[in-house]
Amino acid sequence: MTQSLHRAAAGGLFMRHIRKAFAGVAALDGVDLTVHPGEIHGLIGENGAGKSTLIKILAGVCTPDDGEISVGGRVLASVSPAAVQQEGIRFIHQELHLIPHFTVAESVFIGQERSHRWGGLNRRAMRADSEAFFREVLNIRLDGNRLIRDLSQAELKLVQIARALIDGEARLVVFDEPTAPLEAREAALLFDAIRALKARGIAIIYVSHYLNEITQICDRVTVLRNGRQVATLDEVKAEDVDRLIALMVGRELTTLFAAPAAQADTSVPWLTLENGGGEAFRQLNMQLFPGEIVGIAGLSGSGREQLIDTLYGLYPLRQGTLRIAGKAVKLRSPVQAIARGIALVPRDRRHHGLIQPLSVADNINIASPQSLSRFGWELKEKARKNALALAEKLDIRPRNVRQAVRYLSGGNQQKVILARWLNSHSQLFILDEPTLGVDVGARAEIYHLTRQLADKGRCVLVSSSDASELIGLCDRLLVMRRGEIVADVPTENLTQDGLLALTSGGSEQETPL
Amino acid sequence: MSQSTMAVNTASGSRGDRALMLFARYGFQLMLLVFILFFALNSPVFFTVENLANVLQGNAILLIVALAMTLVVVAGGIDLSVGVALDFGAAFALVALKTWHWPWQAAVLAALTGGALVGLVNAILILGFKVKPFLATLGTWFIGSSLERVLTDGGGPIAYRRMATAYHDIAVGSLWGIAIPVVIAVALMLICYLLLERTLFGKRIHAVGLNPVASLLAGVNVKRNLFWVLIASSVLCAIGGVILSANLRQFSPLAGQSYLLDAIAAVFIGTAFHPQGRPNVPGTLAGVLFLGLMANGLNLMGLDFILKDALNGLVLLVALVLSFWQGRLRQRLQWQQRGSS
Amino acid sequence: MSDMPQPGLRRRLAFPIDKIPLLLFAALLLFFCFQAPWFLSWQNLSVILTQTAPLAILCFGLACVIIGGGDDVVSGGIDLSLPATSVLAVAVVSIGVQLDVSIFLLALLAVAAALLAGLLNALMVVRVGLPPLLATLASSVAIVGLTNYLARQRRISIDAPWLVAFRDGDLLGIPWAVWFMLAVFVLYQFLVHHSRWGQHLQASGGSREAAELAGLPFKSLMLHSYLLAGFAAALAALTLLSRGSGSSPGAEEPLLLEMVLATFIGTAFSRRRVVTIWGALLGALLVNALSNGLALMRVDIFWVGTVKGALILLVLSAAAVQRRGQL
Repeated sequence: MTQSLHRAAAGGLFMRHIRKAFAGVAALDGVDLTVHPGEIHGLIGENGAGKSTLIKILAGVCTPDDGEISVGGRVLASVSPAAVQQEGIRFIHQELHLIPHFTVAESVFIGQERSHRWGGLNRRAMRADSEAFFREVLNIRLDGNRLIRDLSQAELKLVQIARALIDGEARLVVFDEPTAPLEAREAALLFDAIRALKARGIAIIYVSHYLNEITQICDRVTVLRNGRQVATLDEVKAEDVDRLIALMVGRELTTLFAAPAAQADTSVPWLTLENGGGEAFRQLNMQLFPGEIVGIAGLSGSGREQLIDTLYGLYPLRQGTLRIAGKAVKLRSPVQAIARGIALVPRDRRHHGLIQPLSVADNINIASPQSLSRFGWELKEKARKNALALAEKLDIRPRNVRQAVRYLSGGNQQKVILARWLNSHSQLFILDEPTLGVDVGARAEIYHLTRQLADKGRCVLVSSSDASELIGLCDRLLVMRRGEIVADVPTENLTQDGLLALTSGGSEQETPL
Repeated sequence: MSQSTMAVNTASGSRGDRALMLFARYGFQLMLLVFILFFALNSPVFFTVENLANVLQGNAILLIVALAMTLVVVAGGIDLSVGVALDFGAAFALVALKTWHWPWQAAVLAALTGGALVGLVNAILILGFKVKPFLATLGTWFIGSSLERVLTDGGGPIAYRRMATAYHDIAVGSLWGIAIPVVIAVALMLICYLLLERTLFGKRIHAVGLNPVASLLAGVNVKRNLFWVLIASSVLCAIGGVILSANLRQFSPLAGQSYLLDAIAAVFIGTAFHPQGRPNVPGTLAGVLFLGLMANGLNLMGLDFILKDALNGLVLLVALVLSFWQGRLRQRLQWQQRGSS
Repeated sequence: MSDMPQPGLRRRLAFPIDKIPLLLFAALLLFFCFQAPWFLSWQNLSVILTQTAPLAILCFGLACVIIGGGDDVVSGGIDLSLPATSVLAVAVVSIGVQLDVSIFLLALLAVAAALLAGLLNALMVVRVGLPPLLATLASSVAIVGLTNYLARQRRISIDAPWLVAFRDGDLLGIPWAVWFMLAVFVLYQFLVHHSRWGQHLQASGGSREAAELAGLPFKSLMLHSYLLAGFAAALAALTLLSRGSGSSPGAEEPLLLEMVLATFIGTAFSRRRVVTIWGALLGALLVNALSNGLALMRVDIFWVGTVKGALILLVLSAAAVQRRGQL
């Protein structure tokens, strides 16, 4: 059974001169990618460098404007998910899409169940085959009868892999950030499994932000930057991490960022967190001062997102004390947080930041209705003028504040949320991934606005995965890794390499893998 | 994006597309017109002022209950306990009149309190115990109906034939030539409309119904707003109960049940009249009138009640299907026009 | 070969909340055993089994729809029109017998009517996009109206010989209705839990995204589930017919509550805490045993309804809480 599990891929994957532009902006500008059978090929690049576009094109979800893809020496005529599946290309996405009450065996064989000749499900065969697959191909022991909801993160990932490969037709497997939710020991197990696949002659593309892992497991690495392929290295060792960072980065820190008007007064903190602990972080100590832009950096799994949510009252603080203006407070809901002067611009701007069917004006005015009403009666004209004034101030386009906010671009939508909080009298602005999906022009505007906020004496906390943004925009950086703050540094002399090293644990290995 | 949206041809102006667009905007209204014509042709009495006034009066209570339902559905939930709230209103009023001999104004206040009580139970379940609105109001419905049966020793009505005419007049009297129930219903409808469209409270409820998470993050006190919506809904139903009990001069337990399904239907039919398919007060009015006119028209045709019931059920089904279809079509066409976001 | 690390801290409800209704049930039944000693007599048990037949078969149908659409009452799959459909089929057959129509044709008509109802529901939910709760509620009202129209809202007694044989006869001491129920059980159990189609249905109900990712045809699976449910309603009609010796107006009313109760209580029996066919069977048995016990003790009809209503609330709430605790 296991012998027939895999066809040796002859020729491998060739992607040549791939070009793709969205609304005139080039996401990929002539990228080549070659992956040989039995090779683990790393794909790295910053957010927006074009990684996900390239993967989407390979998945058949997105059609390239130019270029060709060939697998095993044959050029792909049509690009669709079905065609790609036929060619033996499989994807291990970040989202698992597993059904909690299914067993391991059922999940592995979903859509391709084994049945007896008389039509009934052959559960025994499915269980045996799935266990055989885990044992022989991935080198892991996993009971086929266990329920998905009882599995650990690593086991879930392995089930996902088994599901993609069980038909034995896979020639190329793409892993998209597979270790993000995993602990170090679990990641090691995953690597063993991936190496086992390599030994069978399967080509592997490995997409990740964790550079130390890239150097560990990959044979070759392609670096993307600004839609271009800046390098393809034929060999990477642990000491190459800094070189990789240098290749990934390299963007000039232009005057996207304005200098602070004055040195922030760091005598009295507005917000203090003492020994804070939550579900994803522990023993956090931090202080935020008025006039200062503080950034939080950290990869996914670092606890950064949870910290933000806790500060906004969405999660309870399990240990420690939170002080605002010196007074210890317990924030049980965003309403309370807002009442204390905290404002949040959420990371999922489209679903959590804005109410899509409502108008721009409504979205702006929703947080500060008191001034725009009399005895609860909405003063429509006053509200509209107010929204319009803010739209002018922030240059929100199009200016029609009565239009539904869903038709605005990402950058303008972000400005709507900022406008909302400018209206109120918040003291702390938490910006979570403020320029995700925002074009360069709007970015500059948002950065300037942020600096103005600080100059006016507000506290600003920016949580971001964009290194250049953090260094350029913030005065001080908190770096989180696996639930703890590992550094609290001024950004003055911090380089992007240095930041990446801190967030991804580049120079120092925490556990031998 | 689904395959079907991509496949529809983008050349706007083709005959098929134009017909579809017309249907999406006026489909239901057209059907209503057809039905009205049909009934008018079938019975000379149908299109008379007297008959139409009758329809209005007969459906005043349904309109009030449907308004209550509209509020809750706009806020993103559903209220299955509207019948119970109506009954409690009637019961409290009757007891106040019959047992304590209160004047009619106090009796009405008692009714409102009774309604508020039901709303309070819903609020405690939904906001305190975090039960989903469907289950919570189902529970209230169940507990309320059981209580009604127990407290009336098995479901017998509490009659008060010699009630003060002032109270009875609420149902049978008229103001400036219009039946008082209709006046009350229209007044409440205006209030609900203004509440939803022109006040801050209304704005917040819409926000909560559309996106509770974003509303919470934007500082809307979702719990508090939902609380008041639930109370308002039940109090509205209690007013319906006042009118019903005033009309029959008695409290009949479980009389409120029959309004539940029609109220839900009216609200959902009403969504066809809104550009984004949201529940809305004018739409609910249209839904109530539609149901009322259908029932009335069928009545006037002199069919036996079994056939009438069957046709009524069928009409309800068709109306729901059509209004949903229309809503779906509208959304799809909007998407196409603006491009996906 | 490597050893897997232990499952990480996963938020799991320590207390199996969904077992509470089951425990309550068990307590009640034990109570009956003590209070009414003839409760456990073979004769009584036989009665319970026979009476369970219509409910159990309806539950099989409902289980199909819930399994395919997800077990959330509001947004998932549900079919409230099954009792009404069954009663319609009963009426069709009763009228047919009175008109001396052949059994074969009658069976065909009944099944056709039920399948049409299922098709109607499926179209409303899948094509038009009505929430299943609303759609099947509305179709239920329409179907009841149709039934009353056909039967003039009157009781129709029939005593065709085949019906009498079915009602009164037995094989090896077990009434035909029970055999029938078991046969239908085997059929549905196989279809849902031991066939590929059934596996796909469960995937659809578990997670639509996961199902579509695996290339499963979500919409046709839903369509099939409603048709199967309608078919179950037709099958249940035979047992309803025999139990009532004909057609009676309003027979569907008590069945609705019991059907939902029995199907959801069945989740307590499955290791995975999901709706299953055999769980539905056991649930139906329990619910009927409860009714039987309460009747034996001459409890007021009102209290019977109250107990059942309270139980159904408990069951649905427990399921909701359970769902919140998972993932």
